Amino acid sequence: MNNIFLLLPLYFLSFSNIFSHSQKTTANTGTVKITFINTVKGKPLELNTGNYTNPFGETYTVTKFKYYISHASLAGAQGVVNDDENFYLVDESKPDALHFSFTIGAGNYNSLNFTLGVDSLHNVSGAQSGALDPLNDMFWTWNNGYIMAKLEGRSPQSKIINNKLEFHIGGFMGENNVLKNITLSFPPGKILNIQPGKTSEIIIEADIDTWWQQPNDIKIAEHAVCSTPGALAKKIADNYSKMFRIKDVLNN
Amino acid sequence: MKTGIIILLCLCTALSALLIGAAGNANVKFADGNLPDYIEFTIPAGWPKPPANIFAKNKLSEQGFQLGKKLFYDTRLSKDGTISCANCHQQFAAFATYDHDFSHGLNDQHTTRNAPALFNLAWMKNLHWDGGINHIEVQPLSPITSPTEMGETLENILIKLKTDTAYPKLFNAAFGTEEINSQRMLKALAQFTGSIVSSNSKYDKVLRGEAKFTYAEENGYKLFKATCAGCHKEPLFTDNSFRNNGLEINTFLNDYGRMKITGLPKDSLTFKVPSLRNVSVSFPYMHDGRFYSLGAVIEHYRNGIVTTQATLDPLLANKLTITNAQKYELIYFLNTLTDTSMTKNPRFAR
Repeated sequence: MNNIFLLLPLYFLSFSNIFSHSQKTTANTGTVKITFINTVKGKPLELNTGNYTNPFGETYTVTKFKYYISHASLAGAQGVVNDDENFYLVDESKPDALHFSFTIGAGNYNSLNFTLGVDSLHNVSGAQSGALDPLNDMFWTWNNGYIMAKLEGRSPQSKIINNKLEFHIGGFMGENNVLKNITLSFPPGKILNIQPGKTSEIIIEADIDTWWQQPNDIKIAEHAVCSTPGALAKKIADNYSKMFRIKDVLNN
Repeated sequence: MKTGIIILLCLCTALSALLIGAAGNANVKFADGNLPDYIEFTIPAGWPKPPANIFAKNKLSEQGFQLGKKLFYDTRLSKDGTISCANCHQQFAAFATYDHDFSHGLNDQHTTRNAPALFNLAWMKNLHWDGGINHIEVQPLSPITSPTEMGETLENILIKLKTDTAYPKLFNAAFGTEEINSQRMLKALAQFTGSIVSSNSKYDKVLRGEAKFTYAEENGYKLFKATCAGCHKEPLFTDNSFRNNGLEINTFLNDYGRMKITGLPKDSLTFKVPSLRNVSVSFPYMHDGRFYSLGAVIEHYRNGIVTTQATLDPLLANKLTITNAQKYELIYFLNTLTDTSMTKNPRFAR
């Protein structure tokens, strides 16, 4: 009889292992924290108050800056580790929405991969919660789909009402798909080292100055608003897909 | 002894399976085994399977349906508390707006398209005249937030629902806790609207051998099958495609239909083919409600099609040949598509 009770915990353990689909916290896991610093030309973004100039000499302010990050993964010696099906909405106006963390196996990693945007399946899956809650004002109600990235502000060069600058970039289908797969390598000589039970941090800079140029010239005087999927959205997304760089890796 | 172990292990397996099942359904947690009364969504005999199961991740229950119904008829979902979903979707008009080309929204504003009838939504791949809505659960976001319709924000609605005395209990009954969030509200609404099925008209009864067409209805049905069924495919009476049926463009609206959604020139002036079920109570017709009678619609297909539009549907390249006698027979047939067991069903009424 004693034997049975000795076996039972083992049985449960094996059962839960079969069904665990993510890296559960165990003795051999730590945490990676990914922090975003939104910038313009390398200087921290100042919402509402900062005055900026784009490569065409056009001036602007920024009142909203938000974008979706999903399907994050880290690559290292032991292969690729995924952060499951989590979605994060990076939002400059909310200090708590400028970083996220997930659990990964201890070891060394040397590159980070993520999707900028929300994959097509989650654009057609009905009412969702958390980062994908339509309350977050990132869901088009008349032409369903998520706004992958949103930049709003004002510019004297804008010809639309109240000199508004309004880039709502989305589109998940066909040639107008703006989903971007981003792979970032760590700065020379840096690796991410995860120790069991400890948190190491990757600091990413996202620079708005990239939105205007390369490969596509986006002049505010010509395009102060983009609020539908299409060729313009694709051009802007091609530009901003290069906005990220890893500024630093802080190992603990 | 060995049997004991096996029984124990079996029990453990069952328990583990239960635990995993509960964890997989993250949004629905029911305490005390207090589950709602689940309902099986039935597909009428001979009908095609819906393109997707709209209740797969939104398990249909009596409590969810009743909550959705209360929300559907609640005017507090609008900014000034005067407009509910049912203002523009009236049951006696098959959940279209009776006798209105455009419906009335907030502050006496008009919508820019004719309110579509609501039934058999479970069979639709997308919703709205232009197909811009890709899932039944997110459809209400459009009228709720449109400044010309209900004009309200999701935030305000949730505050109103949370401070109400009845709603927290109803959300608890439907979803297992009193938490009120946008996802639950939208899922409840989808349980109500997705449950509205129209499959019991005289036409259906004839097909089931429970009734007989009159001579005129029978002739109308034959003409329908030869002339109209290419787009209005049985048994749903729509193929859910988008087509340009040759309407003169309304220069007040300049509505180019599905092109607004896809951005593709080939979709210019195309609109969703509406179901013809309940058509005699859901007038006026077309995306802008320009025709007030079935006679006027048939007249359009006989003589009114604008044949110069590049995207005109090939099936309409030649105007339809329908004699005056056939026109009336066709209308007699279309009248057999009215389903009073839906339009007068107390289950769907306020």
